[in-house]
Amino acid sequence: MTDQTPVQNSMKSGTWKKSSCKMCIHSCNTVVHVTDDGVINKIEGDPDSPANMGRLCPKGNAAIMRHYDPTRFKTPLKRTNPEKGPGIDPMWEPISWEEAMETTIRELKTSIDEDPRKLLPSIADFQKLYLWAWPLVVGNSNYFSTAGSFCGGGYHPMNGFIHSTFAAANDVNYCNYWINNGSGDGFSSHLHTAAQAFHVANARVERNMRVVCVEPRLSIGGAKAEEWVPIKPASDRHFALGLCHVLIEEGLCDYETLKHDTNAPYLVGEDGYFIRDSDGKAYVWDGKDNKAKTYDDKSIGEFAIEGTYEVEGKACKPSFQRFKDILAECTPEQMSEITTVPAETIRRIAREFSTAAEIGNNITIDGRDLPLRPAGYNYYRGAHAHKYSSQSNHAFKLVNMLVGSIDVPGGHVGATLDDQKVDNGHVAEGDSGQLLGTPHQLGPHPGFSYPPDNMDLMSYFPLGVHPGHLNVEVWNNPEKFSLDFKPDVMLICHSNPIWSLPGKREDWFKIMREMRFIVAIDIVPNDTNAFADIILPGHDSLESWNMTMIEPPHTEGMCLRQPMTDPLYDTRSEEDIFNDISEGLGLLEVWNTILNIVNGFEESPNLKLELDQKHSDKEMARRKGLNWNGKDLDWYIEHGHAVTPRRTDKWYKPWQGLRLNFYIEDIVRERDGLRKAMDTAEVPIRDEWHWDDYQPLPTPVLEPVLRDNDEYDLYAITFKDIQLNFGESLSNPWIKDIVYRDPVHTALQLNTKTAAAKGLEHGDLVLVESKYGKIYGRLGLTEGIHPETIGVSNSLSRMMSQNAGVPYGGGHFNDMLPADLENTDACSAQCESVCRVKLTKLDHIPDELKGEGSLYSYSDGRAAQ
Amino acid sequence: MANISLKNVLRPGFVGRTFKSGYRFQRYWDTPMATAFFCGESGAGVFIVSMLLNFMPGVILGLLITGVGKTFFHLSHMGVPSKSWRAILRPDRSWISRGLWGIIFFVGFGVIHVISELFGLVPEVLIKPAYFLGLAGAIVVVVYQGFAMSHSTAISLWNTGLMPLSSMLYGLLSGVSMVMALGVLDLYATDESQLLMVTLFQKILLVAVFMTILSLLHGAKHGSKGARQSYELLTSDFLARPFLIGVIGIGTIMPFLLLMFAPVNFLTTLTATVSILFGFYLYRVLIFKAGVMDPILTPADMFGK
Amino acid sequence: MTSYGMVFDVKRCIGCNACTVACKQENSLPDGVFFTRTLSAEVGEFPNVSRTYLPTICNHCEDAPCEKVCPSGATYSRDDGIVMVDGALCIGCGSCAVACPYDMRTKIEETQLTNGLFGEGNLTPFEEQGYTRFECGTFTKCDFCSERVDAGKDPACVATCPTDARVFGDLDNPDSKVSRLIRDRVGRQPLPEKNTRPKVFYID
Ligand SMILES: Nc1nc2c(c(=O)[nH]1)N[C@H]1C(S)=C(S)[C@@H](COP(=O)(O)OP(=O)(O)OC[C@H]3O[C@@H](n4cnc5c(=O)[nH]c(N)nc54)[C@H](O)[C@@H]3O)O[C@H]1N2
Ligand SMILES: Nc1nc2c(c(=O)[nH]1)N[C@H]1C(S)=C(S)[C@@H](COP(=O)(O)OP(=O)(O)OC[C@H]3O[C@@H](n4cnc5c(=O)[nH]c(N)nc54)[C@H](O)[C@@H]3O)O[C@H]1N2
Ligand code: SF4
Ligand code: SF4
Ligand code: SF4
Ligand code: SF4
Ligand code: SF4
Ligand SMILES: [Mo]
Repeated sequence: MTDQTPVQNSMKSGTWKKSSCKMCIHSCNTVVHVTDDGVINKIEGDPDSPANMGRLCPKGNAAIMRHYDPTRFKTPLKRTNPEKGPGIDPMWEPISWEEAMETTIRELKTSIDEDPRKLLPSIADFQKLYLWAWPLVVGNSNYFSTAGSFCGGGYHPMNGFIHSTFAAANDVNYCNYWINNGSGDGFSSHLHTAAQAFHVANARVERNMRVVCVEPRLSIGGAKAEEWVPIKPASDRHFALGLCHVLIEEGLCDYETLKHDTNAPYLVGEDGYFIRDSDGKAYVWDGKDNKAKTYDDKSIGEFAIEGTYEVEGKACKPSFQRFKDILAECTPEQMSEITTVPAETIRRIAREFSTAAEIGNNITIDGRDLPLRPAGYNYYRGAHAHKYSSQSNHAFKLVNMLVGSIDVPGGHVGATLDDQKVDNGHVAEGDSGQLLGTPHQLGPHPGFSYPPDNMDLMSYFPLGVHPGHLNVEVWNNPEKFSLDFKPDVMLICHSNPIWSLPGKREDWFKIMREMRFIVAIDIVPNDTNAFADIILPGHDSLESWNMTMIEPPHTEGMCLRQPMTDPLYDTRSEEDIFNDISEGLGLLEVWNTILNIVNGFEESPNLKLELDQKHSDKEMARRKGLNWNGKDLDWYIEHGHAVTPRRTDKWYKPWQGLRLNFYIEDIVRERDGLRKAMDTAEVPIRDEWHWDDYQPLPTPVLEPVLRDNDEYDLYAITFKDIQLNFGESLSNPWIKDIVYRDPVHTALQLNTKTAAAKGLEHGDLVLVESKYGKIYGRLGLTEGIHPETIGVSNSLSRMMSQNAGVPYGGGHFNDMLPADLENTDACSAQCESVCRVKLTKLDHIPDELKGEGSLYSYSDGRAAQ
Repeated sequence: MANISLKNVLRPGFVGRTFKSGYRFQRYWDTPMATAFFCGESGAGVFIVSMLLNFMPGVILGLLITGVGKTFFHLSHMGVPSKSWRAILRPDRSWISRGLWGIIFFVGFGVIHVISELFGLVPEVLIKPAYFLGLAGAIVVVVYQGFAMSHSTAISLWNTGLMPLSSMLYGLLSGVSMVMALGVLDLYATDESQLLMVTLFQKILLVAVFMTILSLLHGAKHGSKGARQSYELLTSDFLARPFLIGVIGIGTIMPFLLLMFAPVNFLTTLTATVSILFGFYLYRVLIFKAGVMDPILTPADMFGK
Repeated sequence: MTSYGMVFDVKRCIGCNACTVACKQENSLPDGVFFTRTLSAEVGEFPNVSRTYLPTICNHCEDAPCEKVCPSGATYSRDDGIVMVDGALCIGCGSCAVACPYDMRTKIEETQLTNGLFGEGNLTPFEEQGYTRFECGTFTKCDFCSERVDAGKDPACVATCPTDARVFGDLDNPDSKVSRLIRDRVGRQPLPEKNTRPKVFYID
């Protein structure tokens, strides 16, 4: 076989070009091989990238199969079958771009001219965040998607309050004790999975970093952890509050940091506001002089953080004392009852965490003397995506803050989403020496309006991320919510809300069916665009330009995407499409103005988009690159990216000299502001509003899902994992080839003993029902799941779809979730992502599961060989 | 996608083609290969017995079963039939190569023998060597498949000297039984003592085959983990029924009872032969199907977890 | 002499099967064909339970049973110990497949090459440029990415592994990373009782 032309794809004759991956929302750096015949035949990680160091996750390795997917949209399409629904063939008919754009613009215009609020946009590409802003062109602030809120409703605003960033991660450079709570970070999902997995594995093996995984399911993180702590779903805040109790009760906190770097000493009155002097400066209590002084008084001898005082005639306590009072009801024993984690385990982990934090230790990095706190409590969607998400997020942050590990080497550190410019800081001074909280990380709040200007009620969530899931609640009860408009057109781009939104599928289908016109910009068929009237086919990520930086944990810098080949089909870039729509509506200048603002081109005359011109994806990429580091496109084409390790002045204590928000007074202020606005406007539902969800400190209130206790005796949870991008990557044959061989992704995960107690066996077919909806599935028994939990991989949450390549999995997990106010955090707009369910054994496959496209059609009943 | 079966996922212990650590069925040698093995061994068996008895119909039948039957099924098993001839290339190390040489000798010289017997066209010097070389080839063929299997360390059930032994015994038993069935009328008529000898031989072989199968099961039961899985499959799992009833009941016990206690006539002889051949064929198929590979490794084996 | 081998760091492996897909990508493997796969094994009882991920690959056995049984000479070992299959010589008898204790041989079926990855009979350009390397009906396996290795690169699965759980190198060089890992962290071979002398080692 020697001396022959190579058979390995990377060794064939061709060229390598640098780019970045787009198989999940992140952007690992890649090199792409194109043969002399123009075939893309190998994608590898860019070994020169300090982020992913030449590595890719399985999805990144499978990008070629999306590019060459024969089901890709090849031309603009027009629906010829008026009937719409899952699995119903739209009978697409190819049409010209002229016709497609003309129809689209005409139909959008008809509704927008009547009332711009009649448009429901669903634009969700994280790698092109500026497209999210397009609806502003017509003054629309609807949002028909759950991207951002299902995962980060409570998370992003809280990161904004605590770190002034979009995301956060443990600092893998120094961390030695990593609590991993309901998150795939470093193992299977979230921040730059492929990159982060490398750094976390190094820390585990080379530094013996200990991982404690607190999760109902033995996830990948759990499998790699030194200790897996199974926890009852939706009770994570209680676990964290238990830790806080022990840290405070046993005096295990970093008191120096609490006193000098946080607002823990600020005195809080009974109304929840700080006690202030006439200049508005917050008071603290000087324990030495035994009197109140403003926080910045140089003469303070001892910042009291405990005790009850009276200042200017008002009873008050340091905010730390307020928290301590709350924690009186959060003993490990009490928290154990809720979480099922043994009290002793809570105590031990709190002690281990504090010991590992090496309180008092310092380190010098780049000439700065910084606290070294090699212990971090990291968490994400699984832990906080519940009704009281804001409080949960806050509780997790406080575990870190108590031992002084916020934004310090080894601790829990904020990660910005996109700084746009290398020298842009993200930190500003707020009131009374505090770090300015920046809860609106995804864009400014549209402001209060009554009747609401948005079908998702965003105007009632001054601190929230768009609660896309509430669209269905409002649609079904327009009078109750005083809705004075009815959307009838939808613009979808890079989004699959019918898959991703929680709530009853039928209700969502109904909304889709009632739309007068739906246009979808997409590359492959999905659950949502099957309802579209017009499909506008986009270039895929190997045919288009882009420049981005998405939540890199400890790197920063723009990543280039460039076309590897000419487009395979008659497709266009999203930029071209949006430019033309804007122009067609006579709003091109407005669109360019918006683009200038959201991309930070405003301040640079040379970057500012010419308002009367249309800017291509390439031109946008060029300007974003220039904005970052002044380098033009040819530099990026050569280097692929400008990724560097995050500069330590930005990563560690960028807020040095300011105080962290231990107590979040803004939450009280926003609550009262909203209440006043609602009262003034006499919003009918104001008495129903969950005012108690606004808490400046976390409390042990029970999630509604924990309070229900009727016949629904199990908790159902959902998860992603590293092979899956929601459910969408399942049309990829390479991904299918590995996913459907993994026991975790081929059956509903149930604890062996739970099954035995219910007389259920491995492989049994079951009906899973919540109060709201149902799915079918086959049981896969495992020891690796909490006994009260049933785990549903996104691979199984598959509905009948137009994409025949994706096997039908027995329904959708989200069908079983509530999508109502009752289960929405009034503070952050987070939806509940866990539900109570019951199981019924079935003796045969229900008709709806039969048929070629079903995962379950392989065998009926328990199979003999 | 289409070839992923949930069935395998759901069998406790067995993991099919999933990414779970556990037992896997060998799935590469299947029914066509089992049929080829059956043809090789039974064909060589009937050839050998008939050569010794100088029973031409049996000699010819043996040549046909092996030369045509075995070849046909081998070719239908082979991934690249057109290149099958290449299998002769490594007799130094491969039992498959050696077997192929055996077949060439067996069929080649067997045919010469037949020609010489029937038409006498063969030069004198060749007659004796042809007889012995043909017989030698057949002896290789009757055992080599057993050796090919016993050399597989991958499949513990097979990895035993009982494999070539069972090949030989089963081959000869099938041979004797076919000779009995073919020659039943002729033998009755001519030589009472030869008949007695052959039936005695048949009964002895039947007992020996029975004992070999029991030893095989015994060995598997007390063998490696993979072999134990095979034992379970053959005795209590989904292969148990065909194995216990088909191979042992119909294939050995029933013909033995027939031969011992039923009146010797065409019908009983034919019935015994058919049930023996049926049992043998089933044996070949099931031993393939019960071939189990050990878990590649388990954490317990490796790291004492 | 060079003797190539691989070390799997089980402590690092997250069971992602990026290696598996990278190999499919590099070697144009049809649906259902794997040269490497990472398996999982659950150990223990709730709540004291763990899951281990075990990458598996052709071990390039020193005493390779697949080579010994191969009647056509298609399977052979290179001087550097890489066990190769010459598809042009293979007759598809499957002897190697039943001889390999590690289940590392797979057959290339004609339908796999004609149906294609999307199962529609229309091959993608990627498949068209890749499938020419296969002879229908032959049994094939991992060749340690011999072409990449000859060019001084790491095998594709090694290069992509997000956690560095796969290390490739020269076992005969006592200073190579693989040799050091095997020494320092007690490398263990899979199924040693099969006497195949695997050149793949596991560390934990
Ligand atoms: N591979 C991959 N990576 C991704 C994505 C992807 O689709 N695939 N999507 C990106 C996006 S948009 C996001 S938001 C992030 C999400 O990243 P993650 O938050 O890491 O992902 P999830 O799998 O949604 O949830 C994490 C874990 O929470 C667990 N869980 C579920 N319910 C509970 C609970 O009540 N308590 C606790 N403690 N755990 C629970 C699940 O078992 C799961 O393992 O990932 C990003 N990165
Ligand atoms: N059950 C369950 N539900 C969930 C989650 C979960 O883990 N479990 N996760 C939640 C979270 S965290 C999030 S962020 C949301 C995400 O929900 P969505 O934002 O709806 O995300 P996707 O499902 O990835 O849908 C994106 C769609 O974009 C299209 N697309 C892909 N590439 C391109 C491209 O290059 N160009 C264009 N134009 N289109 C493209 C594809 O059709 C794909 O279906 O889902 C939420 N819902
Ligand atoms: S983590 Fe995301 S960006 Fe990175 S390789 Fe995987 S799919 Fe691509
Ligand atoms: S790529 Fe690495 S971490 Fe992932 S399964 Fe393979 S060996 Fe394990
Ligand atoms: S692992 Fe199997 S295929 Fe690889 S060399 Fe060893 S015996 Fe041959
Ligand atoms: S299938 Fe091919 S490589 Fe395997 S033993 Fe037969 S001839 Fe050799
Ligand atoms: S070494 Fe190459 S051929 Fe072998 S498994 Fe890895 S990528 Fe595949
Ligand atoms: Mo998300």
